[in-house]
Amino acid sequence: MPAAVWASGVAGPVGRGALLVGVVAAAFGAIAAITAARESARGEVTRTARLVPRFVALSFLAALGAIVAMEWAMITRDFSLQYVQDHGSRSTPPLYNFTAVWSALEGSILLWILALALSAGLVAWRYRRRLDDQLITWAIAVICIVMVFFFILSFGPANPFAEGAPGVTDGPGPNPLLQNHILVLFHPPILYLGYVGFTVPFAFAIAALITGRVGEGWLLETRRWTLFAWGFLTVGIILGGWWSYEVLGWSGVWAWDPVENASLLPWLTGTAYIHSVLVQERRGMLRVWNLSLLLATFSLTILGTFLTRSGVLNSVHAFSESDIGTYLLVFFGIIVLVSLVLIGWRGDSLRSPGAIDSPVSREGAFLANNVLFSIFAFIVLLGTVFPLIIEALQDRQISVAEPFFDRLSIPIGIAMLALMCIAPVLPWRKASTELLRDRLFWPAWCGIGALVAGLVSGADGLAPLLAFALGGFSGGAALRQVALATRRQGWRGLVGRANGGMIVHVGVILIAVALSASNAYTRSQELRLSVGTPATFAGHTFELVGFREDKDDRSTAVKALVAVDGGQAYAPAITKFLNMGMNVGTPSVKTTWRYDIYLTLEPPVKMDSGEARIKVFVKPLIMWLWIGGGLMAIGTVLAAFPGRRRRRPTDPTSADVPTNVERVVT
Amino acid sequence: MKKLKGRFVWSMMAVLAAVLLAFGATRSSGPTTQEERIDAISKRLACPTCNGESIYVSRASAAESIRNEIARQVASGQRADDEIVAYIESRFPGSLLLPPGEGVDSLIWVLPVVALVCGFGGLVVVFRKWKREGDVEADSDDAGIVAAALRNYDDPTEGL
Repeated sequence: MPAAVWASGVAGPVGRGALLVGVVAAAFGAIAAITAARESARGEVTRTARLVPRFVALSFLAALGAIVAMEWAMITRDFSLQYVQDHGSRSTPPLYNFTAVWSALEGSILLWILALALSAGLVAWRYRRRLDDQLITWAIAVICIVMVFFFILSFGPANPFAEGAPGVTDGPGPNPLLQNHILVLFHPPILYLGYVGFTVPFAFAIAALITGRVGEGWLLETRRWTLFAWGFLTVGIILGGWWSYEVLGWSGVWAWDPVENASLLPWLTGTAYIHSVLVQERRGMLRVWNLSLLLATFSLTILGTFLTRSGVLNSVHAFSESDIGTYLLVFFGIIVLVSLVLIGWRGDSLRSPGAIDSPVSREGAFLANNVLFSIFAFIVLLGTVFPLIIEALQDRQISVAEPFFDRLSIPIGIAMLALMCIAPVLPWRKASTELLRDRLFWPAWCGIGALVAGLVSGADGLAPLLAFALGGFSGGAALRQVALATRRQGWRGLVGRANGGMIVHVGVILIAVALSASNAYTRSQELRLSVGTPATFAGHTFELVGFREDKDDRSTAVKALVAVDGGQAYAPAITKFLNMGMNVGTPSVKTTWRYDIYLTLEPPVKMDSGEARIKVFVKPLIMWLWIGGGLMAIGTVLAAFPGRRRRRPTDPTSADVPTNVERVVT
Repeated sequence: MKKLKGRFVWSMMAVLAAVLLAFGATRSSGPTTQEERIDAISKRLACPTCNGESIYVSRASAAESIRNEIARQVASGQRADDEIVAYIESRFPGSLLLPPGEGVDSLIWVLPVVALVCGFGGLVVVFRKWKREGDVEADSDDAGIVAAALRNYDDPTEGL
């Protein structure tokens, strides 16, 4: 086929060309933006500003071109490229062949660059009429500089378009774990949108420091960007948990693996920010602190990428490693240095007057929230890097894993739930105990109700019961706010930062309760089933109906058909991937709203023996994890919509002089 | 309504919650299967070949064989959980997932506590500071500013 002959080998040069164009366009974009910012700082009419969106658009096209070239190479099975030799194969099904592009480091960086160029494009388009504002042009310049770094990373040390050995006509395909669930199509891109999305608020924070804009104007611009990045990161993390549950076969959603921790760290500081920024919007306080949180969030995304992609920390997620570690570490160092220098230089002029009157107030609660989230982030960071420090100091290997994180995260989680009980009903400035007794009354009864419900269904143990009680209490407090707001304002009571935030809270609470229950009350048993002889465990019967073998040209799957409670047969499987010689177990799950029955087939499997070892997990409330995740996503979108018209944060804080006396009286 | 939400009902509620929690926390958790003991033990041990994953999580063959060893020990019923963990640790040094609180390793337990104390201690300090600043008395300069502002100010409610 002449078309295929022509197509083969074209992806490499096209991709490299696109990356080179990207480096140049992003660099020119940065230069143009800085020039424009300096011109407008001098009060000149800037002509350079018009060039900025063009360079940004060109960078976006370059990023798109690079990833399209990679997809083209993967789809046409262009084995002239090393990356396709390593991660492509003729037998990979189309969907997993498509996702194979981000199944390893070099391709993932292409996806990262695309997300980055997309955010740059959105920023340039959103503020296309305000390019004479130096805050905007500085922010775009920062994004462009970050983009230059990643384009260089991809063009140089993490080159996805490197030529492979000649004469290779087939490859092993992506890691088997990355080709047996549809979520591999959604989890990485959505997570990357979250990670990369934090570049925009970071850029605005740096721009605010450079321009010395002490006002709250830049916050208006960043709050919503942060919210979207945070929403994507949240959804990405939850999809990751879902993927782990559906694929890995140990029936869990979270293992405190370094890569998981690396995604949790910016999530924690980002969550702290979207709370404390409200104090700044309302009271004009905590400016330096909020800036620092944004700078920390972005730095942590880079540090996390360094820790997990350079090979210093090992992890099941680190599907490949390379020598980009030094680049990432230097970049991280530069970010931290620039941030510290800028804060040191501008910090004092940003500092705001004013005081928070009482710890028992909305702003006091936000501060307590920030302390909790910061400590949590510190613990996660400590646990992740501690083995590295010990190895560097004493040349000895230790593991810090689930038992450590469980022991510390449970009390912190419970403290956060307790804060979520009280914080939503607190007014700004100051609250009296009468007011709290009044507003918290019915939420507290919800807590008692949840506790009783837990006890009735057989729950024991202090930590999970506390989680149920506080979950009920905080859920009641959140729903109370939603109920009051919708009664006052109709459907508008569901949108806006506070109301949408309460929906997010309900989602978080569902997840907290579901995690406590499923961690504490999982029942498990290994059953040796023979065909025709049912076994009973935890009130359910399991009967081996037979086996099925599914073969295609990349794998052989052996499935044990197990009828649960005499009904539908579930089919946990072991799939042998022929190219890799690797066996991958695939669980099968019966889901109900109260519990999941999770079945795995244990090796070795002898089909003709008529026997199978089936491991059964009965896990309560798992479905509520996904429902909670969905509510968090919906709540984030609702919170991003402008709610009830309110004072713009840039307007003076003092109230208008009343012109209508009646209003004063009522 | 005032009475309903008064101190008395709240303290009753607190007592009720405490009683329920105490009852739930102390009641026996029912029988556990051998498999659940195996799971609990294998969650405390690292798989020797797979980068910090626990025996429980890992599907690697090394983890599989240690899991079988744990299963044998549990089935024989002669050792308690801690003894089995110690036995596996003696055969595969470094497989404990929970860092012991000795020497430099204890920092991993100390530092979070330090962070907690610093965090909330810092909060107390800033609130104290704000409280002091909040009590600033207006001096004669401030009074002058207010007077000047009032002179230039047309009260729209005047005459109402």
